[in-house]
Amino acid sequence: MLEKLLILLFASNVLAQVCMPDAPEAYKVRLSIKTALGDQAYTWNDNELYLFRATLAFAMRNYLSGQLFDVSNILVCNETERVSFWFMVKSVTNPTTLIEKQHVENAIKESRHRINSAFLLTDQTLEFLGILPTLASPFVPATPPWLIAFGVVMGVVGAGIVYFLVAAVVQRKRKKTLDEEEEAKGATENEIAGENLDGIYNTSFSDDEKVTEM
Amino acid sequence: MEKGAARAEWDSPVQFILACVSYAVGLGNVWRFPYLCQMHGGGGFLIPYLLMLFLEGVPLFYLELAIGQKMRQGSIGAWTAISPYLGGVGLASVVTSLYLCLYYNIINGWSFWYLFHSFQAVLPWSTCPLSANRTEPLEECRVATPTQYFFYRETLNISPNIETNGGIHTGQALCLLLAWVMTYLFIVNGVKSTGKVVYFTATFPYIVLTVYLIRGVTLHGAVNGITYMFTPKMEELANPSTWINAATQIFFSLGLGFGSLIAFSSYNQYNNNFERQAIIVSLINSGTSIFASIVTFAVYGFKATVNYENCLDRLRLLLMNTFNLAEDVISQDNVLDWVEKLNTSYPLEFAQIADKVETCDLTKELSTAVEGTGLAFIVYSEAITNMPLSQLWSVLYFFMLLLLGMGSMLGNVTAIITPIKDFKMFSGISEELLNGVVCIFCLLLGLGFTTPSGNYWFTMFNDYGATFSLLFIVLFEVVTVSYIYGIKRYIEDMLGHPPNWYWKIMWGGVSPLLLIALLIFYIINYIRGGTPTYQAWNQELGQAVVTEYPVFGQVFIALLIVSSVSCVPMTALYAYCRRRRPSATAVYT
Repeated sequence: MLEKLLILLFASNVLAQVCMPDAPEAYKVRLSIKTALGDQAYTWNDNELYLFRATLAFAMRNYLSGQLFDVSNILVCNETERVSFWFMVKSVTNPTTLIEKQHVENAIKESRHRINSAFLLTDQTLEFLGILPTLASPFVPATPPWLIAFGVVMGVVGAGIVYFLVAAVVQRKRKKTLDEEEEAKGATENEIAGENLDGIYNTSFSDDEKVTEM
Repeated sequence: MEKGAARAEWDSPVQFILACVSYAVGLGNVWRFPYLCQMHGGGGFLIPYLLMLFLEGVPLFYLELAIGQKMRQGSIGAWTAISPYLGGVGLASVVTSLYLCLYYNIINGWSFWYLFHSFQAVLPWSTCPLSANRTEPLEECRVATPTQYFFYRETLNISPNIETNGGIHTGQALCLLLAWVMTYLFIVNGVKSTGKVVYFTATFPYIVLTVYLIRGVTLHGAVNGITYMFTPKMEELANPSTWINAATQIFFSLGLGFGSLIAFSSYNQYNNNFERQAIIVSLINSGTSIFASIVTFAVYGFKATVNYENCLDRLRLLLMNTFNLAEDVISQDNVLDWVEKLNTSYPLEFAQIADKVETCDLTKELSTAVEGTGLAFIVYSEAITNMPLSQLWSVLYFFMLLLLGMGSMLGNVTAIITPIKDFKMFSGISEELLNGVVCIFCLLLGLGFTTPSGNYWFTMFNDYGATFSLLFIVLFEVVTVSYIYGIKRYIEDMLGHPPNWYWKIMWGGVSPLLLIALLIFYIINYIRGGTPTYQAWNQELGQAVVTEYPVFGQVFIALLIVSSVSCVPMTALYAYCRRRRPSATAVYT
């Protein structure tokens, strides 16, 4: 009984001594579970915290290959009902020293996506204060898509203009040949066939009498 | 045999009405009227607006149609026929129309640019491009909004002021080229092709507006905008600028003085009943303005509500993170109560974040009124990014803007080409060639607006190129035609009955007096306003800054106004000199 008390005291002493907010090796984490998941949100409890410590250990293992980090290497303190807390990472090789901030940051940056997925959260809802998420660069296609749309519309309009111009030219040419034909025909139509243009004198209508009878 | 070729005509009176509607219903109905409505007391603004419609809008519209139909020529020929000394009025119209053509198609170019950019999975103006180290957005985009960044940087590549310039923006130049090519396609055969195109350009925008109305009023928070707009603030009626703005809006919205209406009606049959058509088109134009402003305000309300709720959300997050409260304790509804509570219980900690605490005010969001290109390309695009299926709404919206702009362009270009064709010198040239030359000429000059400082020149043309000159021209029109020429007898000739007493009163007294009052107001405003200013985009601040025009800018403004207005006295002088010479045997028509 007394041993258990002593162990508990010792453990909490270690924690109280080492894990402090605003320590040079500590990071603050903030989770916004309800914002991310709404109705599907899970409640934050000690088990979730254990998972968190496990994923962080996983991240450290990946980064510093060879060193087998464990849940006990991740120290957590100052939990709030916001669901935010501070954590620090103890070294495997030397349990009294802490891993520097830069290494922790790099480890987290590498495995960020895995850490987010473990909690069904995103870069914005699982925040590590001080570690800026690397934003995904937007996909840039080879030809800008607007040029394609532009090319299509320009092609259609250009084809329309060519059609109208050609139609106008064809119509004009057709009209000109029609006019020319008409002129050529009209010259012969207006002439009367035959040589005697004065007409033939019809004697049946003339009177030999020089003096009209009353 | 072809010398006395019959003048081209509209296939039916319906084409003429649709052409006038297509011309008059333009971008101003969508982006100027809602702004005025908001500035001058919402629903109450309709009173001066409708009053001005009947006092000056309809009578002046009727007058221009009468002139064109009687003279059966474009503006220069028509005025020269009325009196050789008045040919300058027509010339001034053509010059003003030329300025308008130069800068108006740039807007169509922008509409094309935005339309083509809507065919992407993510609308490019909804997110910021990233900075070099990919940790945060570009600085200019951060201080401004993504939609502003896209308009000012990626679309215009705007320079800090009008003096600084650079090379032509290739994308803009291509879109302007397409705009002119399309304009040419619509007018290539003159009235024959224009008459068919207007069936589409006049009717399709209404379909889109109706679809947008349904979408708009079903948006979250749209009701806020509509109630804000329609709550009349009657005290605004006491403000004289309300009445002046109503008068100028009616005047410019109907497109009077450019010569387009004269050109359109010159292709009418002699006995066409334009009296009814004038009333119909004017009423349709005003009705469309009111209709468009309902849509605009529904969208405004949506955007303001979204911004307000985002502001509340940011505040909530700030409080939660600072005071480590659980997520579901503060909601959007009780954020403001919590602000009070935390301020009183933890004044020290609250003081630390006091500079980050924003005041979220829905009325303030609603009252940020915007007009012009800012409304169309920034505010509206921002609202669209928040709608579901934003690509579809974006395509529909910019297509509608394009149709509205193209429809007005038809009238603008016809106003230049018809008078040119009437000159005997040019009657030998084929129609297609003449149209093509005019389009290419305007395109080449318009390329100047695609340079980095181009938007400032555009604003200059927009503000000064047509405003004063038009009032001057139309005043001349009304006074000379009703008093000196005596149009009333010709109307009886054309329509079969003399004009109503209403028309006679308006032409004789009311409309000229109104125009003189507007002219005086403009002159006073210009003198009192000091140096003319423009809005320059400041890259570091991410907002527009009021800057004075440099000397060459002011000189150019003066040139713009003088070049069109001086046509009237100069032509009168020229005609007088020709008359004085005994060998003057000029035949004008």
